[in-house]
Amino acid sequence: MDAADRDLLAGTLRKTMDSCTGPRLDAALTEIGWPELLAAEPRDAVAAVFGLLGETGAQAPLLNDVVLAEAGRAIGGTLPLPYAGGSWVVWERTGEGGGLDAELPIRRVDPGDAVPLADGRRALGWWLVGSGRAMLALARAHALDRVQFGRPIASFQAVRHRLAETLVALDGAEATLTADTGDPGSPGHELGALLAKAAAGRAALTAARHCQQVLGGIGFTAEHDLHRHVRRVLVLDGLLGSARDLTREAGALLRPGRPAPRLTQL
Amino acid sequence: MTGVAGFRSGLRAWLDRNDLSPGDDGTLDGQVAQLARVRRALYEAGWMRHGWPAEVGGLGGPAVLRAVLGEEVAARGLAEPGIYSMVEVLVPTLISYARPELAAHAVPLLLSGREQWCQGFSEPGSGSDLASLTTRAVPRDDGTWAVTGQKVWTSLAQYAARCVLLTRTAPGHGGITAFFVDMDAPGVTVRPLRTMHGVDEFAEVFLDDVRVPADRMLGRPGDGWRLAMDLLPHERSTCFWHRIAHLYTRLDRLADETPVPDDAALGAAYLALHTVRCRSHATQRRLDAGARLGAETSVDKVLLAGAEQLLFDTARDLLPGVLELSGGPWRPEYLYSRAATIYGGTAEIQRNIIARRLLDLGQE
Ligand SMILES: Cc1cc2nc3c(=O)[nH]c(=O)nc-3n(C[C@H](O)[C@H](O)[C@H](O)COP(=O)(O)OP(=O)(O)OC[C@H]3O[C@@H](n4cnc5c(N)ncnc54)[C@H](O)[C@@H]3O)c2cc1C
Repeated sequence: MDAADRDLLAGTLRKTMDSCTGPRLDAALTEIGWPELLAAEPRDAVAAVFGLLGETGAQAPLLNDVVLAEAGRAIGGTLPLPYAGGSWVVWERTGEGGGLDAELPIRRVDPGDAVPLADGRRALGWWLVGSGRAMLALARAHALDRVQFGRPIASFQAVRHRLAETLVALDGAEATLTADTGDPGSPGHELGALLAKAAAGRAALTAARHCQQVLGGIGFTAEHDLHRHVRRVLVLDGLLGSARDLTREAGALLRPGRPAPRLTQL
Repeated sequence: MTGVAGFRSGLRAWLDRNDLSPGDDGTLDGQVAQLARVRRALYEAGWMRHGWPAEVGGLGGPAVLRAVLGEEVAARGLAEPGIYSMVEVLVPTLISYARPELAAHAVPLLLSGREQWCQGFSEPGSGSDLASLTTRAVPRDDGTWAVTGQKVWTSLAQYAARCVLLTRTAPGHGGITAFFVDMDAPGVTVRPLRTMHGVDEFAEVFLDDVRVPADRMLGRPGDGWRLAMDLLPHERSTCFWHRIAHLYTRLDRLADETPVPDDAALGAAYLALHTVRCRSHATQRRLDAGARLGAETSVDKVLLAGAEQLLFDTARDLLPGVLELSGGPWRPEYLYSRAATIYGGTAEIQRNIIARRLLDLGQE
């Protein structure tokens, strides 16, 4: 896919995601070719679709498809997915959930069979970074609008630096997602996905913290959109391993005589 | 990136056959002598000339070859990476701003290890606010310029044969003019400063009515600010890649030496390094594709400084007592990492740039 194709795809996806969410979005995406795209261009498809789920605040049960596809199984269904703390969940294709993010139909289930994780982790990484960018956009707009002490709060350095810190975290995480860390099936591919999910989870949580602070009281209301993104990243961070768990897992690779893998080469 | 893999394997084979490992003289004198030795050997064998244009004695090819060379030098610990990478900002400056004959004459002296050069930007009154610098250059009737003022924190000034010096020739940003000054010119006095990590790498430079020929001006009068800004993309591509390679070696050493492997802490340091490596990789891809690098490299800078300090904080935590009570490299390296958020534009200045230029938040 070249840059023009990607822009075209993003435009179509954004329009679809702005118009519906949940099962209806699931159906609409099937309609515009998500299954074929996932089969033909998995990397670009996942980056575009999941990144935009984050940016638009829409949701759909597509993580199932990504994991099923990597496992070589037919997409469209569901399967048990590992969650932080040794839990397992199913992300239903319809209905509502009772968790922290009530829009997501996710519920606990008994432990399932091991599933491939790399592609799902990358997908969630894109979603987390996208949500982080949505929060940053909300906080930035607020900072420019909101006047205190006779000037926009965007003029206060403490506010500016929080937003700058957020952008650094998100751009860093996005770099781990776009980096070529090895062909599918290679150890670098697995580890690259693990690290990318960890970086994205951390970045999204950083974004949530800073943007919430910049939004002040308004960001604490259910009338403002921020809380939806905050809830979402808290839930997504735990799926297929939280930033905390994955970071520890990466650290366990570093032992005497075992150099840290240098994952991307010039 | 075509040809990179072949370059790397050829270089590795050559380095395997030609042992350039440093001796055990860890003093600054020793480090500088080792740097000169490494540069000389790499220059003579041609490796050091790849990625530089033929007009300055190079062999051409993409800049990424220099990143690969520096990565290999850092990975093998052949030269201290900070001072090794200085050519990456000094040479492009000469190529872009010096008279072609001057660049053609001078650059090989630096690349081949025959000379060290320094960069005289900061002054006692002008650190972050570089554009307020006051070292004056005044034209004289005989066509030379007379330079008077003081520079500070000038890395390697005490070893340097030349200095890329910023001076003031008129008010404002447009009144800054750069010169390529001989450090042995009458009126130049260098006073090394003691640093907290014990490797006294920088110095104060006093300039008292120093005569500089007009043909040593870099660019035209008033080009100095642009010259300083043009350095950043170089500093933040190739140099960063070298430093990241160096930091990975320290992470490995930490994993080797720690009696208390703490996976969460080691993992966090690794994640931070991996993140900046991926970011830097993307930056170099853009540079290679002909992009003009700008304010977005402040993101790379913040990530790198943060990763470096996290790594050495982790080393201190996981090697309890080592840097406080034992000798060895961890102590100076830990201390040096404290400067990562100061040199090359402080962490706060980077955030100011990100807020203003990347987030478009308007004036402070
Ligand atoms: C190891 C080392 C090597 C160096 N090598 C060289 C060299 O070779 N050549 C050279 O020219 N210089 C060199 N420097 C100097 C370096 O570029 C300066 O130290 C740096 O630009 C900061 O300037 P300063 O030290 O005067 O600090 P100041 O500018 O006085 O800053 C002090 C503190 O105030 C903060 N601050 C300042 N302005 C703002 C602002 N607008 N908003 C928020 N916070 C602000 C800074 O972030 C910092 O925390 C080196 C420095 C070090 C530590």
